[in-house]
Amino acid sequence: MIKIAVYGKGGIGKSTITSNLSAAFASLGKRVIQIGCDPKADSTLNLLAGNRVMPVMNYLREFDHEPDRLDEVTKEGFGHVLCIETGGPTPGLGCAGRGIITTFSLLNDLDLFEKYRPDVVLYDVLGDVVCGGFAAPIREAYASEVLIVTSGEKMALYAANNINTAVHNFADRSYAKVRGIVFNRRNVDHEEEKVREFALNAGLPIVADIPRSDDIIRYEDMGKTVVEGDASLSVSCKFFDLAELLLGDEENDE
Amino acid sequence: MRQTARIISIYTADISGVCSALFELGGMTVIHDASGCNSTYTTHDEPRWYDLDSMVYISALTETEAILGDDDRLIGDIVNTAGELSPRFIAICGSPVAIMIGTDFKAIAKVVGEKTGIPAFSVSTNGMHSYLSGVSRALEAVVKHFCRRDAVRSKDLSANIIGATPLDFSVNGSVESIKRWLAESGFRIVSCMAMGSDLDHISMAGSAHVNLVVSYSGLAAAKVLQKQFGTPYVAGVPFGIGFADILARALRSAAKSGKSSMPCADRRNVSGGELAVVGESISAGSLARAVEAESGRSVRVLCPLETTGELTAEGDILIPDEDSAARQFTLAGGVIADPLYKPICPDGVPFYSLPHEAFSGRCYRKRIPNLINRKLKLEGAI
Repeated sequence: MIKIAVYGKGGIGKSTITSNLSAAFASLGKRVIQIGCDPKADSTLNLLAGNRVMPVMNYLREFDHEPDRLDEVTKEGFGHVLCIETGGPTPGLGCAGRGIITTFSLLNDLDLFEKYRPDVVLYDVLGDVVCGGFAAPIREAYASEVLIVTSGEKMALYAANNINTAVHNFADRSYAKVRGIVFNRRNVDHEEEKVREFALNAGLPIVADIPRSDDIIRYEDMGKTVVEGDASLSVSCKFFDLAELLLGDEENDE
Repeated sequence: MRQTARIISIYTADISGVCSALFELGGMTVIHDASGCNSTYTTHDEPRWYDLDSMVYISALTETEAILGDDDRLIGDIVNTAGELSPRFIAICGSPVAIMIGTDFKAIAKVVGEKTGIPAFSVSTNGMHSYLSGVSRALEAVVKHFCRRDAVRSKDLSANIIGATPLDFSVNGSVESIKRWLAESGFRIVSCMAMGSDLDHISMAGSAHVNLVVSYSGLAAAKVLQKQFGTPYVAGVPFGIGFADILARALRSAAKSGKSSMPCADRRNVSGGELAVVGESISAGSLARAVEAESGRSVRVLCPLETTGELTAEGDILIPDEDSAARQFTLAGGVIADPLYKPICPDGVPFYSLPHEAFSGRCYRKRIPNLINRKLKLEGAI
């Protein structure tokens, strides 16, 4: 099973990257689960044609008890990708990180992996590894690899560096390892140079180079990933290439 | 109201269960919790505290450490202390605050194990489950970590006792009586988890022919032994004379056939209006069957704690909170329960006091009877 956590600065395009990667895996015939770990609960919107799945935290808030069945907090989207959102507390209150841990524990209790038997699990995590809750996806038994999404913008690279350092700090704990950088272009000056320099210094490969694309935005406006909208576009091919690279890793490991 | 007790007590929590299960095994138990709580887990919930040495520690988690997630201080303290004390193992478990901040105990145990070279494991606790959950997880971890895989079945008939802690059996001689009864029934005792046996005894648990599970908290460990060694288990406590005989036969049968059985749940279906026993499912079920055997009265179990379908009989009822307990008491023809349940028992319903250490602590400790393999006297103090 491939289990990947996607991290990166807020607004850098993690949900777009993750959803397209899910769609690419699904188009290649894989059973995929995508878990959005963000109080905004918008990770899976473009896999669900703009419909929403009931976030786990919303369920707890509304019904005051834990769900008894997986279908109460999951919804299948494009390519039968099973979509889950942790959601979060009332804005300004509570603890979002704790919400992620509670959601993971609940999904374990509901035997998510045993029942759905996925080939691929993608965790789309809010921003930085800010606390224990937001590190939960990279703990043992969850993701085994991390993809860091960044552009050449200074703050995106700053966040990417923080994430890489945080993951390295957990090296003795059997946590996930950083697999590489997904370069999501914003077309800023000397962008490629800056990202390549960061990757070199961090000792990380750039595993995908996603061009800035109006097609992504056009299909998102229609509630779709670009992979679903037009799999033949060159930008879609970038996601297929990344999916195949990660599948190849798994084959090599086996 | 759900999960609420306004009048009665509540059962002690999972953390105390871990401390109790591991108390005599020569390991070091560390609870990641604020300073001052050690007395809850040890002196209040542990009748052996003043008579036996045990390495139970609180991390003294501070507000700043909780905010900063400073696991390094916890790891350093454990490593240094273990270096001085050389425990057989290190068990680390959590409290509500540590769990709220997302402490990764499994990872911490891994780091501690690597730094000390001493077997280290985490036991999942959060202070919100009952002691049964803590005992269960602790015994399961002990069996997984320390039972020798190369243990071969002994030539003489032998058994383990699993799930015995003072929280269910106090220190009134009941566990010694169970051991004596087992010996009289023809079984050599390999280990008792976890009163009166050390880690060396437990490491040979795989050599036993059968496991006697004396509380719900022994079930998970028994299932691990069943999976690893094919050892069957029998669930029951030998209360009374009639039921003790039934249980002894069930043990011999299981040892011979390799099939597990639940004599504590093999009872008549009671529809209500009869005697009710409140308590942990194996103890209460065993007492219900013992009373049935000796008095002919029908008895049902009202279970306020974690249990499973295999340990309950048809007609048994879960009473997860005070309201449901009170409701069932009004329907009963008599209630056998810890004295702290009495205030919610209607005046017209006979109440038979049976103190339970995990519910009323040391309040009635001196009045906890030893009912093992002896004739029951239901009238008066049971």
